Amino acid sequence: MTAVEPQAAAGTREQLVRTLAGLGSLQAQDGGAVTIRIPAGALEQATHAAAGTSGVRLADMFAADGDNTVLRLVWAHETGYIIIESEIEGEEYPSLSDIAPAAFVEECEIYEQFGIRPAGGKPLNRLMLPPHAGTELPTLGREPPRPPEEVHAPHTVGGQAFEFPFGPVRQAGVESLYYGLVTSGEEVVDLYLFTWHKHRGVEWRLRGKAVPEALFLAERAEGLSAVAVGWAFAAAAEAALGVTPPPAAARTRAVALELERLYNHAAATAALCQATGLSVGQAAAEIALERLLRLNASSFGHRYLFGVVEPGGVSRAPDADVLRRELPGAYGELRRVADALLSTNSFVDRLEACGILTAEQARRLGLVGPVGRATGLATDARLAVAAGPYADHPVNVITAVSGDVFGRFQVMLGEAAESVRLITQFLDEGTGADRTLVPSRAGTGLGWAESSRGEVLAWVALDGAGRITRARLRPGSARNWRGFDDACRSQNVFTDIPIIEASFWLTAAGMAR
Amino acid sequence: MPVWFVRGLRRGVVTTRYPARPDSSAASLPTPPAFRPRELTCELVDRMIAVCPGPALRRSDKTLVFDAGACTACGWCARVAPGAVASSGEFELAATDRSALVKTIPILGEQQ
Repeated sequence: MTAVEPQAAAGTREQLVRTLAGLGSLQAQDGGAVTIRIPAGALEQATHAAAGTSGVRLADMFAADGDNTVLRLVWAHETGYIIIESEIEGEEYPSLSDIAPAAFVEECEIYEQFGIRPAGGKPLNRLMLPPHAGTELPTLGREPPRPPEEVHAPHTVGGQAFEFPFGPVRQAGVESLYYGLVTSGEEVVDLYLFTWHKHRGVEWRLRGKAVPEALFLAERAEGLSAVAVGWAFAAAAEAALGVTPPPAAARTRAVALELERLYNHAAATAALCQATGLSVGQAAAEIALERLLRLNASSFGHRYLFGVVEPGGVSRAPDADVLRRELPGAYGELRRVADALLSTNSFVDRLEACGILTAEQARRLGLVGPVGRATGLATDARLAVAAGPYADHPVNVITAVSGDVFGRFQVMLGEAAESVRLITQFLDEGTGADRTLVPSRAGTGLGWAESSRGEVLAWVALDGAGRITRARLRPGSARNWRGFDDACRSQNVFTDIPIIEASFWLTAAGMAR
Repeated sequence: MPVWFVRGLRRGVVTTRYPARPDSSAASLPTPPAFRPRELTCELVDRMIAVCPGPALRRSDKTLVFDAGACTACGWCARVAPGAVASSGEFELAATDRSALVKTIPILGEQQ
C-alpha cells in the first residue's frame, strides 16, 4: 500500500462529509466539528477518502476504551474538523499510516496504551511509557502483548558512521530528551529521539476528575503553552456540555493566547542566538523576553499565564491600561533585537539552508505551526472558527517558502507583529472576566487553539456527573517532533542541530505528557 | 571602560543589588501559602491535602507538614480553606539546606 496523495479536484469538506456519512452514520455536528461513526470494515476506505481530499490533513488519532477499543481519527480542514470513530474488535485494525503517514506516531502510542496494533506486523516504537513504568504509570487500556520496540541504531553503524548518544540530561536545565545521533564525523546520517523521560501520565491522571480540576492539569501538560492547551481543553468541555463563553471572556482568552505566542517567539529568538553563539544577541533577546514575562505578570497575575482560562470563561480580565502602556515597548525591544540579527551575516548565514523541510514533507507528516507555515502551508487553527474573537478579527497567516530555519524565524517575527495587532484590537473591543455557568452532564466534545508551536487539540468524554471518562490532549509539540529528524538529516552537520531545535521551539513535555 | 565596572573593581563589588529595583508586579503573583494555625482543623487539612496536586502537604497527627520546595503556588489549598490560608507573598525561597524548606504548622483549630 502506498500513501494517498490529495487530489486537487477531489472535492470539498462537505462532499467528504457526505462520502464518509455514506460509509457509516453521522453522529453529531456541533460548531466546527462533525463526528461520523464508521464500521471497522470501512475504516480503510474512509481514510483513503479523507487523505485524498485536497486541503484535508490528519490532525490526530487516538483511542478510548470501552467494550471494544474505539479509534478516533481527527481530520482537519480550513473551516473545521471531522472526527471518524470506529470500534475495533480484536487486536488489529488496518494499517492507516500506509495511507496517511502522519498516523504512524499515533499507531505507536495506541499500541503502547491500548494494546491494539495496525495489521501487517510493522515494528512500533516506544513513545511515551518508560521501560521501567510500573503501577505509577499504568496504560490507558489493555497492555500490549509485547513491549514496544526500542528503536535505536547500534552503536557502530557500519562503514565510518557511529552513534553519538546525547542526553537525556542536557545543559542548563533544558528538558530531558535523548538524541541518538548517527554521524560519520560531522554529517548527520540519522537521528532518533527518546522523549519518554518526561512522561507523567497526564491523560491517565485526568480520568475521573471534574472539568475545573482537569483543566488545572491540562494547562501543565505543556506549561509553555498553558493558555493554548487550557483553551483547547476548556473548549472541548464546553462543546461537550453545549455552553459558549461570553464574547468578552473569549477575547480575554485571545489576548492571553497572543501574549503567550509573543513570549515564546522571543524565547525562540534567544535560543537561536545561543545556538549560533551570539551571546550579546541572546542577552538582548532575553531582556525582551523578560519584559514580556513581566508584562504577563502585571496584566494577568502570572508570568506564564497559568490560571487565566477557566471552564466557561476566564478567571480574570487583563489590565488593559498596563497592556496598552507596556506592550509597544516590550515588543519594540524584541523588534530591535530581530532587526539587528537580520543584519548580522554570521547569524543569518547559519539559519539559511539549515534544517530544511519541504511543504510535501510537512503535509505528509501533518506538521503544524511555524514549522509547517515556513514551508508554505497556511494551516492555522485560528482560522477554523465560525464565531468568536478570531472570526471577528481574522488573523493574517504568515508563511514562508524556504522551509529552513531562516523561514521559521521570519514566520515567528511576522507572527509577533500580528499578535500585537490582534491584542490591540481585542482590547479595543473590550475584554472581561465573565463566565458561563458550566453544567454537569454527559457529552463528548473537541476543542482547539493555535499555540506558538501550532495547533493544539483536546477531546473529552464526560459522564453524567460531568467527570472525565477519557481526555485526549494533543499539543503542537506532539505533532512537530516527528518532523525534527527529517529536518536534521537534510544535509546538516551536527552543530546545526541546536539551531534546528531552537527554530522548532518544541517541548519534550508536550510530546511525553 | 564603563563607570560601573571601574567602581565595582574599586569597591570589590562585582554584582548589582538584588533585586536591582522592586518588581511592580510582584504583589499580584502567586506565592506559596501561609497558614493560620488557629483556623486549621484536621478535617480542613485533610481536604487541603486531597486537592494539593503535588506532595507539598501532609498531616502528622495534629501537625501540618508543608514542603515549600514541592509547592507550585497553585492556590488550591486556599480555595478549599480561604479562612485558614492566605498567599504568603514570599518569593525568596532559596535555602542552603533542603530541610529548611519543610515547615511544621500546629493545627490549633480543634483545641478551641
